[in-house]
Amino acid sequence: MKANKIFILLLGFIGIVSCENRLDVVPEDQVASNTVFSSFETINGAVVGIYSKNQSGDLNGMAQLMGDFMADDVNFVGSFPALQEIDQYVTLATNESIDNIWLDGYELIGAANNVIENLPLVEDVPGVDDGVKTQFIAEAKFLRALTFFQLVNLFAQPYQVAQGGNLGIPLTLQPFQGGDISAFQLERSTVNEVHAQIEQDLQDAMAGLPADNGVRASSGSAMALLARLYLYREQWSQAATMADQVIGSGDYSLAANYDFYDNNPTSSEHIFVVVNTPSDGPQEATGSDEVYVTFYNAAPGGRGDAPFSTDLLDAFAQEPGDRRFDELSVAASDAGGNAAFFTTKYPDIVNVASDGMVLRMTEMYLIRAEANLRGGTSIGDSPQNDINLLRSRAGLGPLASVDLDAILNERRKELCFEGHRRMDLLRNNRNLRPGGGPESAPGADKVIFPIVEDETTNNPNITQNPGNF
Amino acid sequence: MRNKNLLCCLAALLTLWGVQAQEKTVSGTVTDQDGIPLPGVNIIIQGTAQGTQSDFDGLYQIQAAEGDVLVYSYLGQRTAQRTVGAASTINVSMEEDAQALEEVVVIGYGNQEERKIIQNVGIVKEEAIENLQVNSADQLLQGQTAGTQIVNASGVLGSAAVIRVRGVNSINSGSQPLIVIDGVPITDTETNTLNRGGNTGINPLSYVNPNDIQSLTVLKDAGATSIYGSRGANGVILITTKKGRKNQQATVTLDINTQFSRATDVPEILSADEFRQFKAEVASIQQGATVTPEDLGLGALGSGGTDWLAGVQRTGISQNYNLGVRGGSEKTTYFMGLDYQNTEGFIVGNDQQRTGARVNLETEVNDWLKTGMNLGITNTRLNRIGVENNTNAPFTTAFLQSPIIPAYDADGNFAQSGSFIPNIFAVVALDVDELKTFRTIGNFFAEITPFRNLTYRAEVGVDKLELEEFVRSANFNTPGGVAQQINVADDRWLTNQTLTYDNTFGEDHSLTALVGLNYEETIRTRANVQATGFLTDGLRNLGSGSTPTILNGDRFDSRLYGLFGRVSYDYAGKYLVEGSLRRDGSSRFGRNNRFGYFWSAAAGWVISEESFMESAEWLDFLSLRASIGTVGNDRLGTYPSLGLFNAGAIADYNGESGVIPNQPENPDLKWEESETLDIGIKSSAFAGRLNLNVTYFKKTTSDLLLNQVLPPQTGFATISRNIGEMENSGWEFEVSSVNVRTDNFEWRTNLNLATIDNKVLKLNDDAATDLQGRKIIDGTIQRAIEGESLNNFFLIRFIGVNPQTGDAEWLDANGNVTTNPGSNDRVVAGSPLPDFSGGITNTITWGNFDLSVLMNYSYGNQVVIDGLRFADGNDAIGGIVNIRRQNLNFWRRPGDNAFLPSPTSSTFNLFNQRSTQQMLDASYLRLKNITLGYSMPQETLERIGNIFKGIRFYVTGTNLFTIKKDEMKGIDPEVTDDIDPLFQGESFFTAPQSKSLLFGARLQF
Repeated sequence: MKANKIFILLLGFIGIVSCENRLDVVPEDQVASNTVFSSFETINGAVVGIYSKNQSGDLNGMAQLMGDFMADDVNFVGSFPALQEIDQYVTLATNESIDNIWLDGYELIGAANNVIENLPLVEDVPGVDDGVKTQFIAEAKFLRALTFFQLVNLFAQPYQVAQGGNLGIPLTLQPFQGGDISAFQLERSTVNEVHAQIEQDLQDAMAGLPADNGVRASSGSAMALLARLYLYREQWSQAATMADQVIGSGDYSLAANYDFYDNNPTSSEHIFVVVNTPSDGPQEATGSDEVYVTFYNAAPGGRGDAPFSTDLLDAFAQEPGDRRFDELSVAASDAGGNAAFFTTKYPDIVNVASDGMVLRMTEMYLIRAEANLRGGTSIGDSPQNDINLLRSRAGLGPLASVDLDAILNERRKELCFEGHRRMDLLRNNRNLRPGGGPESAPGADKVIFPIVEDETTNNPNITQNPGNF
Repeated sequence: MRNKNLLCCLAALLTLWGVQAQEKTVSGTVTDQDGIPLPGVNIIIQGTAQGTQSDFDGLYQIQAAEGDVLVYSYLGQRTAQRTVGAASTINVSMEEDAQALEEVVVIGYGNQEERKIIQNVGIVKEEAIENLQVNSADQLLQGQTAGTQIVNASGVLGSAAVIRVRGVNSINSGSQPLIVIDGVPITDTETNTLNRGGNTGINPLSYVNPNDIQSLTVLKDAGATSIYGSRGANGVILITTKKGRKNQQATVTLDINTQFSRATDVPEILSADEFRQFKAEVASIQQGATVTPEDLGLGALGSGGTDWLAGVQRTGISQNYNLGVRGGSEKTTYFMGLDYQNTEGFIVGNDQQRTGARVNLETEVNDWLKTGMNLGITNTRLNRIGVENNTNAPFTTAFLQSPIIPAYDADGNFAQSGSFIPNIFAVVALDVDELKTFRTIGNFFAEITPFRNLTYRAEVGVDKLELEEFVRSANFNTPGGVAQQINVADDRWLTNQTLTYDNTFGEDHSLTALVGLNYEETIRTRANVQATGFLTDGLRNLGSGSTPTILNGDRFDSRLYGLFGRVSYDYAGKYLVEGSLRRDGSSRFGRNNRFGYFWSAAAGWVISEESFMESAEWLDFLSLRASIGTVGNDRLGTYPSLGLFNAGAIADYNGESGVIPNQPENPDLKWEESETLDIGIKSSAFAGRLNLNVTYFKKTTSDLLLNQVLPPQTGFATISRNIGEMENSGWEFEVSSVNVRTDNFEWRTNLNLATIDNKVLKLNDDAATDLQGRKIIDGTIQRAIEGESLNNFFLIRFIGVNPQTGDAEWLDANGNVTTNPGSNDRVVAGSPLPDFSGGITNTITWGNFDLSVLMNYSYGNQVVIDGLRFADGNDAIGGIVNIRRQNLNFWRRPGDNAFLPSPTSSTFNLFNQRSTQQMLDASYLRLKNITLGYSMPQETLERIGNIFKGIRFYVTGTNLFTIKKDEMKGIDPEVTDDIDPLFQGESFFTAPQSKSLLFGARLQF
């Protein structure tokens, strides 16, 4: 009987373990939002997180790919219907690929706003003094400006169409922290207003960033982006001056050859680069590196969707011996099984870790040359010298004189497959396709993207772009 | 303080023990109405756990005291009761019970006599499944009980079926029912393994040996499920494994069978030359000049190609060995099972080996203590293949790969396909994709009867899943090679403790009361490592890769604590009432809503017991029953209420760690709650020849967890809030009849039918709206609409090709014909939800032969086969993919009734845009399982020396034929590629179900 009692008691004890206070379980692999701004490490982490978001394949990858195949550099042969729509200028507001660009863009802006808004309120955190705060906020502003610029270029007609008076994108400048959503249903600001905000952010970033900040944004990055903004806005002397400042800063120099594409983010060529490492791609939804590597390379290793267009091949063929073709292209079959040429600017098919080019020194020379030519100035150097400098690196002889066509041709051969071509044609009032019809003409409805359905259904204040989206 | 109370209580219990009456041995014989001894009759002393079973000669022996009531129960016989008097011999002659309503049925945390059940439960009994040969346990449920719908994701081995009890009751949380095996709720986390295309994951029931299962109970109404509180909303499936029987010699059953399987139906696609001719003809028409295949770079006619589809299919040959030992002594019963299954799918590269073992033991230690253990272990090795929208899916890729692409080069080596669609033969042959699992599900229990009528039961259970997934892609398929390994440990331990009081007062008042507690802790740990850069394919494992690309590890912990009670009372078996209450606390709920209460009340009236019904002798049984109550759904994810920043690889930059906003906070988050009303009639007439059960139910689910879509400018896609409301209502019919019954011929039919009407009552205030201003949840193919069903195919309506113009035509939103529709022309065009569905089983026994024919059906639903956007038309993926044969029928001249528009039409390349062109009528009637068996007669067994107690040979055919619409030719109507409620009835290219023939023998000795 005694043994029985003990047995029953043992069983009984199992039942009286107090269970209720065991129901508080905290995550072991994520950080609760109320603790992010409580240490230097997590605050720095919140800034690093914005850079990480900038590695999204939609912001750095898809946007560039689309910019190239909507123009005349890439002959898109891929199968994704969403991309085919864009290629054929029959885009609808339901297009998933475009949706992702919009969503990722505002996610990055939200993460940046979170730092810009909350970091100034932080007090008494060891290691976070005013200098640190200023720099972190400047980094957030640079990345926000970069993203606003990316979005306004894609979703609004360029400055040239209505001198910036047309609709741009919504300017969201505060983070969402739960609760009311009406502050996040903003209407679209004009292109000029968006550009003004970008200019302001970049000026703040220039002031707050160090000249050397490793692979993170430096003051030169902000200047370089500002130079591009001025170029796009046809503010020639400011564009030339800003580009000249970067060139003259001594922080960067033209690389001697084209080795900077192959996982070489510290090359003197780079002003700001999306650094992709082998561990990035596979662990993120769709990483920047994945987009670049899979679309621009042929199978196996890539999809073979984005070979050189005939027009681009012709452009290179006009001057044989161009190292930018000889060293940066390879013959292979495309996704349709046809013989084609592919760029080798994103060569890391083994690790899927090629970097995304954002701002590099060559573009500064190109901006300075174009702005000087258009403005009739010679800030820093003459357009002819700038262009010949790049040509000599490419193994081509100097030009006796340069005009806008020559500069744009050089710009194209330098920057092809880096996502510049669409804007370069549009802002110079040129058709996106050689011999192209009205659908690809500057100002046409579908040379820009529709405001995505996610936005139009969730924001009553938004205005759709004209066109049957 | 609590300890003290319990001690007092126990002390009181122990004292009561002393006052028990003197016991003596009672023995006797149990026979049926014809005087034939009945073996295996359960005999228990009412209100205790003590009991025995009659042996082969119908003899039994039991220790009982005078005044004890002995209850004799046996399958198919009316339960008898005898009070122990002075005599020590009690012989009992049992009467056949027409409907076997007296059977004891497993319900939540207990058992109940079937005729006294006023909960709505679907019961799948041993005799309904013992002759079914299936690969996994979910197939045992198919077509068996009304309102339980099983849709097999595909014929791919290991893929999970989508199981729905009374439809979908949730939008964003899981809608799968809770599965409880011998009291242990099993984990069925979908995200444990790599996604292979589709979103159905690995079948949680593939870890259970179907041969070990004795019965299944599907708990449907709140009366049955509310005792499972926050986990009952999607229904509960209780699986009971086989137990031994008392006083029975060991019976050894050996079952051996071999199965041959093929695909049910596959679409016809073009051969290489048909493909060349088609492309050349289309190009010729478009260019107005003769274009040859060579001009198009497709090679000359007759220059070879590959029949990819033939190459990925085979006849899968499977073997199954199953050994069971079952028996028992007076005090102890046992069941032991051993199972080995080697299954080959009909798609190359897909096979599975499963080894399982089980021990179920139960012993009466003494007259107040019974202990036992149920333990099942399973070891599986599955070679997985891709499915659905995945370039490495054999079936998908074999459809789409161009037939002109050679699989091998001139030397007979694999050739690169040259496009992003890989050489699937090489993928299957060279790559490894292996999933190994080891799972232990079991419990130990002790039942103490401190004094008569009171039983304390304590259970400690465990469900431990060890899973290892290894993927190795060869250099040929992935330059440099890639290896990935995922290890998951999904551990759950739990305890259930119940106290049951069961008594009859006077003649007519029966009372059963239950209180209990349930604590569960689940920890899931996952490590995921990937490396690239292998020198050769011979270097197999992660360590040989030059670059680690994924290094992931995480751990999720969740806990549940529930207290529950249930009281059942009946007066003379005529008026029955029952109520239950459960309080659940869960770590998943927000801190402001940590505990939830769930309740139910039910009442029943057995009209046939009333005196005024006595005259209706043809009527055996008639009852009315109603229940109302609440249940919850806790499948919300692990930390759904917290504001979170993600760390790790998703937030790092250039090796520097970071954090990134991931989830906005919502401390009010709680379970989804369903309130169910259930009314039913149960009846049996003509000596059990005809039974009819009818049920109506209405289930209103509120606090639906909706991912309220946030304006994109917030930087978050969604926030989880309990805002939605949804209603499911429907009718369930079950008819069973004995159509013919003679001495050696019997024909029985069981038919069940269920209807479900789903309606979304409320979406969030700021939900997206459609043009009419109704709130919606929009997807690319489906749209949920407030006030309408959750699942509506929302597509542009495709009409067909105009015979006069050769243009493809659609309807715009206003119903006008258009040749250039836009996204605003989408309308509700169909539904993946059937008007009704169910199953029909016919069983015929004729002498020593038995035949069972199980059919299931679904009517009035559509499916969208999204992959047809690629497999039809001329331009998908730049026109490099293969297409279905009907595309050869393109428009050439006025009057043609063509499938495809004219090659010169502006609609030629628009034809395959997303529209109802890909939406097909998926009504079907399918011969799911047909089994013919022959049992050797007793005389033959004697003639061969009485070595065997029984020999049975059988043949089973699965999915032998399907009646479906013509437009479904080549496409399986039973498809879904996603477990998510919002994507029901969608598929890219689901591999079809398998059609199989199985030959086997069952030997008993």
